[in-house]
Amino acid sequence: MYLYFLRRLLGAVPVLIVVAGIIFALMQLAPGDAVTMLISDEASEADKARIREAWGLDQPPFIQFLNFLGNALTGDFGTSFRYKMPVMDIVLERLPATVELSLAATFIAVLVGIPLGVLAASRPGSFWDGVASAFSFAGISMPNFWLGILLILLFAGHMNILPSGGREPWGMGLDRITGFLIIDSILQGRWDALLATLKHLALPAIVLGTNMMGIITQMTRAAVQDAMHEDFVMTARAKGLSERRVLWRHAFRNAMVGVVTIIGLEFGTLLSGAMIVETVFAWPGIGSLLISGISARDFPLIIGLVLVYTGIFILMNLLIDLFYTLIDPRIRMN
Amino acid sequence: MKAPALCCLSAAAIAAVAVTATAQEYTDARIAVATTETISGYNPYADPVVLMSSVWCQVYGCVTRYDFDAGEFIPYVAEKVEAIDELTWEVTLPEGLTRHNGDPVVAADIVHSIDYMANNPSSAKGFLVSDWTNIEAVDDLTVRITTKTPDATVPDNLAGVTVTSKALYDEMGDDMFRQAPYGAGPYKLVEVSIGEHVIIERNDGHPMLSHNNPAQIMYRLMPEPEQRVTALANGEVQIAQSVPPQLIPRVNDLPNADIAMTNSVEMMFLAMSPLTHPWDVLEARQAVAHAINREAIVRAVLQGQATILHGPVSEGQIGYDPDLVSPFEYSPEKARALLQSVGLEGVEVTLSTPVGRYTADRQIAEAMVPMLEEAGFTVTLDTPEWATLWANVQQGNVPFYYMGRGSMIDPSRALHQYFATGGSPRIGFSDPELDELLAAERSAFDPAERAEKMQLAIQRLVDRAPAAFMWQHQMGWGVSKDITFAPRPADRADGWDIFVN
Repeated sequence: MYLYFLRRLLGAVPVLIVVAGIIFALMQLAPGDAVTMLISDEASEADKARIREAWGLDQPPFIQFLNFLGNALTGDFGTSFRYKMPVMDIVLERLPATVELSLAATFIAVLVGIPLGVLAASRPGSFWDGVASAFSFAGISMPNFWLGILLILLFAGHMNILPSGGREPWGMGLDRITGFLIIDSILQGRWDALLATLKHLALPAIVLGTNMMGIITQMTRAAVQDAMHEDFVMTARAKGLSERRVLWRHAFRNAMVGVVTIIGLEFGTLLSGAMIVETVFAWPGIGSLLISGISARDFPLIIGLVLVYTGIFILMNLLIDLFYTLIDPRIRMN
Repeated sequence: MKAPALCCLSAAAIAAVAVTATAQEYTDARIAVATTETISGYNPYADPVVLMSSVWCQVYGCVTRYDFDAGEFIPYVAEKVEAIDELTWEVTLPEGLTRHNGDPVVAADIVHSIDYMANNPSSAKGFLVSDWTNIEAVDDLTVRITTKTPDATVPDNLAGVTVTSKALYDEMGDDMFRQAPYGAGPYKLVEVSIGEHVIIERNDGHPMLSHNNPAQIMYRLMPEPEQRVTALANGEVQIAQSVPPQLIPRVNDLPNADIAMTNSVEMMFLAMSPLTHPWDVLEARQAVAHAINREAIVRAVLQGQATILHGPVSEGQIGYDPDLVSPFEYSPEKARALLQSVGLEGVEVTLSTPVGRYTADRQIAEAMVPMLEEAGFTVTLDTPEWATLWANVQQGNVPFYYMGRGSMIDPSRALHQYFATGGSPRIGFSDPELDELLAAERSAFDPAERAEKMQLAIQRLVDRAPAAFMWQHQMGWGVSKDITFAPRPADRADGWDIFVN
């Protein structure tokens, strides 16, 4: 198993290099560079040239990329042109906010989507099947930014029971241990902070998870319905098992492989979808940081962030593969 | 030539305020301000956006600042700023001025700050001081600045010079900005969370503050206007910047807040690069100015929340001429006749506009298209994302675009940047007569004389029409009834302008 794990991780290295190369090439094609975007054009050409030299932008693009790669291999992803801080310091400072939001959104999506999908599959053509389909299609179709603003107006404006944005109230005074506020609140026994964190998390997590919830509902419904027509289900029924046991113990468990795959892939999609949600809710994660980096042509920051996204995708795929062996013993690591 | 001195607020008045302030108990109220701009870190020279410039001036202090009541730049950290001849300015610091940690503020700090701005690659503000050839500390309290050419805009540029400590920088380098952000301003830096918020707290006893200026201020980034207004409604913030016209009635209906309006000092205009066809033809540019029905756009799209411009400036700005009336009234007939006179009827042009950068920018550009077509242009509307458009504009690659230029209390720098020969590639306009007039206004140190020369330059600029001047937006600020805050045209919310009721 360790060998398998190591092989997969080593296989990720060329993927990361190719992704970095593609992003770098795309940045070269975009008009302007960091000096154009961050330094006023009132600056003299000599001043701009001096800054380009200091930032290493005066070198040919290929050399810039090789320098970046060489430094990245030692863990140095460079310094952000806009924020004047090491890229990884900024990314790691903000990564927990995005991961916490994405996990919360996934939790909501799974919590609602799977039972709803199973309910619809167990009563095909019924009222509940119709409700589940309508609910899931609405979730898939609604744009994040629109739903976000509606929920802000309803829950923060009209009802005034949840905050309109941000990650924590001013002056919460929670020490950062892991950067995940829920975990930090629990570790410090700060139940007031936990409640405040959950309140801030609620709306963005619901908005971010809505699309995923719709997809999971549809996938679960289809997979469970397929499984309900398999021979082993007929056998289970013939053995006299209750319909509930047939549904959850046999059909659902066999349908899970496909659903878990979708959850993993959708988690990666959530991370990129978080850019919009983070902007709408002023959530201080890496999504809004990436938008800011792109608008400043801050290529060390952009590549650093994209590599983090790619790394999370790769890790998620690996975890899904490992998880398969738990839910279906027929699947082996090799 | 002996130039007029810029005199500070009188010491007696400051002392009186200070005595009054200390006699009463300071409020411990905290104020949150929902803002729209980027929050990019601790380095006060790294990002010239208005919000961060305002924060750094409150924390470190800037050499000068603009007094909207007096209508001029006045010394702020300095005691006196004066031109001693055409090319030499002298900045004098008051005796006994100290930083938050007790260190004295000395002339070497100003020299160091200007040097950092000009030469450090982390600085994005070098352009403010690039025409200054020599900066020297004459003694502990006096700095002498020599300029390349006579330059009446030095006090304006000094308003962008944040005074940081040379001694601390020598000891800590750039780490000073994060670990020892000690300034001489009325507020102290508490926390910066990149892309999220900045918190500052009152420096009790500072002469610019009274007992009811807020104890702490948090500037919170909230890019969505709905969110800013909702946060104001439920008390999460007490000031919401930039409330768009469609949300103003909602704020006015709130039981706990009101709208406060102010003119911006940002000219909105249609730029036409004479380096490209058909904008190399004067009549085509003038036709654009005649073609746009500005009154209709302000009424229908901006819901009246804008002031129509007859030139690049309006009331309250240097060079404003109340008698100047744009010669380009709305007249599609005149526009068409102008195009016909040079054989350009039906000429194809592409109008570029940002989306979401300025109030109703896309809707405005969409309204302009049929107006231009009625005048005889064949128009394609281009709506690229901001970063792409901005990069192309800065490189002179966009021939015809709708845009704004802010920070124009003193319009000199902006007019040079856009319209003087070689000012920047943004428009690529060149007119020797205008260059002469702009150079003349910049070297006139007497305010009245300068205003007169600026007006001549503006008249020439309007006639030559490298841009069609549209309007200045009126900016809506949502303000909680728990505080008193009268926004200024500079688009900033400084602690000394906020009072807790």
